[in-house]
Amino acid sequence: MQTPVFLDHLPDISTVTGRKPERYRLTRNKALSELLLDDTAHWHERSNCPACGGSIAKSRNFSRAYLPFQRCGGCNSIYAARVPAQQELDRLRLEQTAVKDPEAEQDREFEFISLLNWISLTEARSGCRLERVLDYRFCSQAPGFEEATGRLSHNRDWQFLPLESAADGGIGKLTRSLRDLAPKAVLVQAEMDRVADPAQLLRTLRENVAEGTIVFIGTSCSDGLEYEILGVDSPSFIPLDRLNIFSVKGFELLAQSLGYTVLEASTPGRRDAVLLEQYFNSAENAKIPFWSSFFQDADKDRLRDLQILLQRSLKSGVMRFVLKT
Amino acid sequence: MTLRTAIIGYGKMGRIRHAAMEKHGGFKVVAACDSQPDPTAAIPVVTDPLAVYDYNPDVIVCSVPNMMIPDVVCEALTRGKHVFSEKPPGRNSGDVRRMRQAEAQNPSLVLKFGFNHRMHDAIEEAKKLTDAGTMGDLYFMRGVYGKAGGPGYAQNWRNDPTQSGGGILIDQGIHMLDLFQMFAGRFTEVQSFIQRNFWTEVPVEDNAFALMKNPEGIIASVHSSATQWQHTFRFELYMRNGFISVDGILSASGSYGTEVLTVALNRLDRGGNPIPNPECQEIRFTEDLSWDKEAAEFYEAIANGTPIRSGTSAQALEVMELVEAIYAADPEWHAQLQRQSVTAAE
Ligand SMILES: [Zn+2]
Repeated sequence: MQTPVFLDHLPDISTVTGRKPERYRLTRNKALSELLLDDTAHWHERSNCPACGGSIAKSRNFSRAYLPFQRCGGCNSIYAARVPAQQELDRLRLEQTAVKDPEAEQDREFEFISLLNWISLTEARSGCRLERVLDYRFCSQAPGFEEATGRLSHNRDWQFLPLESAADGGIGKLTRSLRDLAPKAVLVQAEMDRVADPAQLLRTLRENVAEGTIVFIGTSCSDGLEYEILGVDSPSFIPLDRLNIFSVKGFELLAQSLGYTVLEASTPGRRDAVLLEQYFNSAENAKIPFWSSFFQDADKDRLRDLQILLQRSLKSGVMRFVLKT
Repeated sequence: MTLRTAIIGYGKMGRIRHAAMEKHGGFKVVAACDSQPDPTAAIPVVTDPLAVYDYNPDVIVCSVPNMMIPDVVCEALTRGKHVFSEKPPGRNSGDVRRMRQAEAQNPSLVLKFGFNHRMHDAIEEAKKLTDAGTMGDLYFMRGVYGKAGGPGYAQNWRNDPTQSGGGILIDQGIHMLDLFQMFAGRFTEVQSFIQRNFWTEVPVEDNAFALMKNPEGIIASVHSSATQWQHTFRFELYMRNGFISVDGILSASGSYGTEVLTVALNRLDRGGNPIPNPECQEIRFTEDLSWDKEAAEFYEAIANGTPIRSGTSAQALEVMELVEAIYAADPEWHAQLQRQSVTAAE
């Protein structure tokens, strides 16, 4: 298994903690409150870690926006102890088109290029030609993505499966698309942390593609310094979008238990250092040994060095996996 | 199939080869030869190179100084033995031609030279990336390979041209030249500057700078140095769509650092021009598997007839011709070499 490091500029902090992201967070949390109060909504109680299967009895619990969460004592993944049905989640996401995810509004060109280059370089290194790729729902999360693939990904035929509301949470449509399109690769970007049943999604993918198909996963990572220090206080911890925050080990175990070969794992997150710097420099926050003074004294160079070290140690708040069926 | 193996030259390299062959499992090292007997060795160590043939080997591993390589290799081939030899393949291209003749007279035998850099993980990864075509046409390559000459530099046989054929370029820089030819084929036009700066008591170079071009117009520059006080290996390839670099090379001493492959594909602006400083992917390799891969390739060639990819005698000849072309391309250095050879002849 390779563990590449993705080196680039640090992001502008305002894209994470500015007013627009704050509005999005409030709207998502309001939707969650309504769902919690809705007697007709279906919830699934989890008694085991969705990554390693470890018992809930061995985890630490906490809550965010009245939703109970667990941090697994076995694999360090963070997960909601009860999750809404997938169709509820999909309905809420579709309803929220009025309040756009601020990420959707920014210029995400570099993020798209990063994804497309990741796929191209994986193709080159693996020696498997990935001429047909299916995107699962990232096009709905990032509206410019479809256009970007047309402009930047000439040697590949891209197919898109957008977010839709369906009684089965979209699994039937996904199954049919995989069978009809027979993609050489599937992109599952920013989805694994939001689905009610990540194992079901991975199983559906594996069971309906040919052997040797590559699955690209991008999701948040609980081993990241952001989540280790800030936990629920992290600005990116929006419960409805973070029902499953896998650890590297946890996701590796899950993928392997479902029969995937793990080709690559990385934590290409770039936000841990800038988020923590902002956190420790806002007056009201408690002192934490070492880190408070580290971040209060840190200049941009030091933040960049730290972020690279986090990536090299697989300890940043975002992760990528390349799986093979 | 177990190949009975004898190692001629049982110093540092000979022992590294011994360990790799034992690890492979397809070889049984039955004897070694060195200038001094070694009563502590696990195998018989003789001092007469011909005495190893008493042990009836199938394979000869040749880990002797450059000037002895052609004799050892030719003798082994003539006696019907497969041969694995260290680089450099002798002292000059004439030595390689002699060995190729013996090889041609024994076409059923395998001859492989230890250009192990080709089989380092980062280099193989770089080759996969360039071969896939994703990176686009190769424009140019840059290589820096250097070390601090080390203790006993002036006394070491490697710096006696009658024994080694040259200085740092033929000893260490040759690996970089071999990599250039691995990625871009033969280089035919050469310019160079050769220097002797620090160790002036020996007649070989401690620095070589060369600029070369192949028939397709790909340009490469190398700096091979024995006064690179900070041990350095850096190999860069620039292509139409991005670049690859390999920093550090895993070695027995570990002094060239971890092998780090960096690869980037350009990101283009809306006008199609590359935006500076693209996102890079960095991959680290921490285990040197090149010795094992070399042993495995050599074994497969003998046992199953699989063609040798790394370290053929044709590659050895091409790289020795390039070394000679670099020495010859600096007129001052060339004149100095000629004066030396005249003095030596007198
Ligand atoms: Zn777990």
